[in-house]
Amino acid sequence: MDYIISAENIVKDFTGHRALDDVTVRVPRGKVYGLLGPNGAGKTTLIRIINHITAPDSGTVTFDGHTMTADDVVSIGYLPEERGLYKKMKVGDQALFFARLKGLSRKEAEASLRSWFERLEISDWWNKKVEELSKGMAQKVQFIVTVLHRPRLLIFDEPFSGFDPINAGILKREILRLRDEGATVIFSTHNMASVEELCDEITLINKSHNILSGSLREVRERFADNRYELAFTGDPSALLAADGFQVSLGPVNTDGFATADVRLASPADVRAFLARANEAVEINAFRAVLPTMDDIFINAVEQSNMSNPETTES
Amino acid sequence: MKSALGIVIAREYLERVKRKSFIITTLLVPFFMALIMVAPALIMVFSTPESKTIAVIDDTGRIAAHLRGNDDIRFVTTTAEPLDSARANDSYDAILFIGANAISNPEESVRLFSHGSLAMVSDAFITGELEKAIEDVRLTDYNIENLRRILDEVQVDMTLTVIDIDKEEDSEISSVLSYFMSLGADMVLYMFILIYGQMVMTSIVEEKANRVLELVVSSVRPTELMLGKILGVGLVAVTQIVIWVALLGACTAWIVPLVSSSAAAADPEVAGALAQLSDSGYLLSLMGWLLVFFIGGYLFYSSIFAAIGSAVDNIQDASQLTTVPTLPIVLGIVASMAVLNNPQSPLAFWLSVVPFTSPMCMMARIPFGVALWEILVSVAALYGCILLMVWLCAKIYRVGIFMYGKKPSVVEIIRWARYK
Repeated sequence: MDYIISAENIVKDFTGHRALDDVTVRVPRGKVYGLLGPNGAGKTTLIRIINHITAPDSGTVTFDGHTMTADDVVSIGYLPEERGLYKKMKVGDQALFFARLKGLSRKEAEASLRSWFERLEISDWWNKKVEELSKGMAQKVQFIVTVLHRPRLLIFDEPFSGFDPINAGILKREILRLRDEGATVIFSTHNMASVEELCDEITLINKSHNILSGSLREVRERFADNRYELAFTGDPSALLAADGFQVSLGPVNTDGFATADVRLASPADVRAFLARANEAVEINAFRAVLPTMDDIFINAVEQSNMSNPETTES
Repeated sequence: MKSALGIVIAREYLERVKRKSFIITTLLVPFFMALIMVAPALIMVFSTPESKTIAVIDDTGRIAAHLRGNDDIRFVTTTAEPLDSARANDSYDAILFIGANAISNPEESVRLFSHGSLAMVSDAFITGELEKAIEDVRLTDYNIENLRRILDEVQVDMTLTVIDIDKEEDSEISSVLSYFMSLGADMVLYMFILIYGQMVMTSIVEEKANRVLELVVSSVRPTELMLGKILGVGLVAVTQIVIWVALLGACTAWIVPLVSSSAAAADPEVAGALAQLSDSGYLLSLMGWLLVFFIGGYLFYSSIFAAIGSAVDNIQDASQLTTVPTLPIVLGIVASMAVLNNPQSPLAFWLSVVPFTSPMCMMARIPFGVALWEILVSVAALYGCILLMVWLCAKIYRVGIFMYGKKPSVVEIIRWARYK
């Protein structure tokens, strides 16, 4: 596959603490890539290494086919999790400052800033000082300065924190638009619902190790625990009497049908179960239930903690 | 990417120079300094001390005739009056009682009774007059003809004229003026290095605390950011110094002729100092070196301040760590005092070559005249060590800016420099 950036076998030690232990991450071009993990897992350190802010103790970072150098940083837009702005500076001046740091000329920067300000409906903030803005407003400015120079790789660390649902929606739309225009996005968050919504691929890091990688669909299938949902009409008692199958009643679904939650030992049992169910009730629908990212996150982290109990200090 | 440094410098510089507080202090401080300079001259001109009348009771009957008063002090001989009644008389500011044994044993027999203490000057004047008077009486007692005149001819009275042979033209140096120039230059160095060094530190702590840093380092290498901050703030300092020097220069040019034409011109020492002050070459070279040593000292110390700023989360935590740069600065000032007393000693030489104290100690020596090669060695050592210091501090800074939480110890901070 074509990777825009790949970090191979990254190791990074801090005093008395290994932040990353042989972590490999490969980000395919043109996708939204979720970088997940509990607090203190090493995500931010990995992002800083990808950003060339800190150097790994060992391991390599390849950007666009070559070993990454400091000059590649202009091709990256990074919105850090902990972010601020110069309080005493005017919004417009500040945005210009950041844009020019990314190599835009003053003229280009100003033109493109004006259009972004208009699109996010914040044009009248240009001459305001940052200290007058609310947190959410400042976040919008930070988002703009991150994407303004049209970087090929965008890294968003918790981009939606501090946003109301409306503005979070606007941001999601913009992120997907940027991806559709060819940018690759690395997206780090604890909000699993937005991972399901946005990500094509994910990597889960726990305690300095990469414990899970793959496309979102693949990962969800891998964690599928043979749960199914049956919608039906008829007497549920006959259905519940079916031996050998774990069945419990669920809520009435949006179409007005009764539902049942079914757990099977393996996918091979589907036919047998359907045959029994068909005798007991009238089947309206039957579908596999894939685990949510929330479930997968919790499961994977717990499993990894169990199999690797010697806790590295975090 | 090379212009990133320029953009950071420009932001640091413009954000500070445009502040109202900067504009106000820059313009007002020279005004107050000029006021302080003029004040003694003004006081001298406008204060006419009231004259004092001193009653003299002379039991020897020979000394009083030799006492000569001046504009401020008048001697009135009241031999007839007993001491007690004179003390009761309010019209006298003081009574000088000269006992019968005053000629042989003046310490024991002369007393001055006054209402409150007299001013130091009048005290010294009266003592001087008494000494002369008693001397005269004693001389007369030897009964040698023309003894007074012979003694006057024997007496030698001179002031030493110092000529600096290192300068192309022999020029006179007023050591008093040099002394004050040294002190002034050292004070400027001390103030500016500390104030602007701490400004670098504070602004790094602020950037770290409100997390702008995280956003900035995604576009600028941390080392460039640190250098940009140091250079930007340094430029602000240089701007301020240049404006102050220009304003002070203008004030001096205006005041010196004013003062030298007045009473001060009577004293050759003051006149020499004033002549030197109006020698623009001397002043310009002094200002030039001051700038060179300020920039050197500032770069050297501000990088330490920058490293400290990066290591802490808030300014309170920094206070303990700031002793690391503050101590050698203060030491430099204290050492300068020793250097001032003996500017050409080996100790003075070494203190003005070692970078930690060299800006202060060399600046203390320059007004007295120092061989050019010594200054150049000092500058070379200082600027060489700056590179080393900036490199070391940048390594610490790079790690420090991402360290939150526990306040680090000096040892830990130094360990950071070894991180990859």
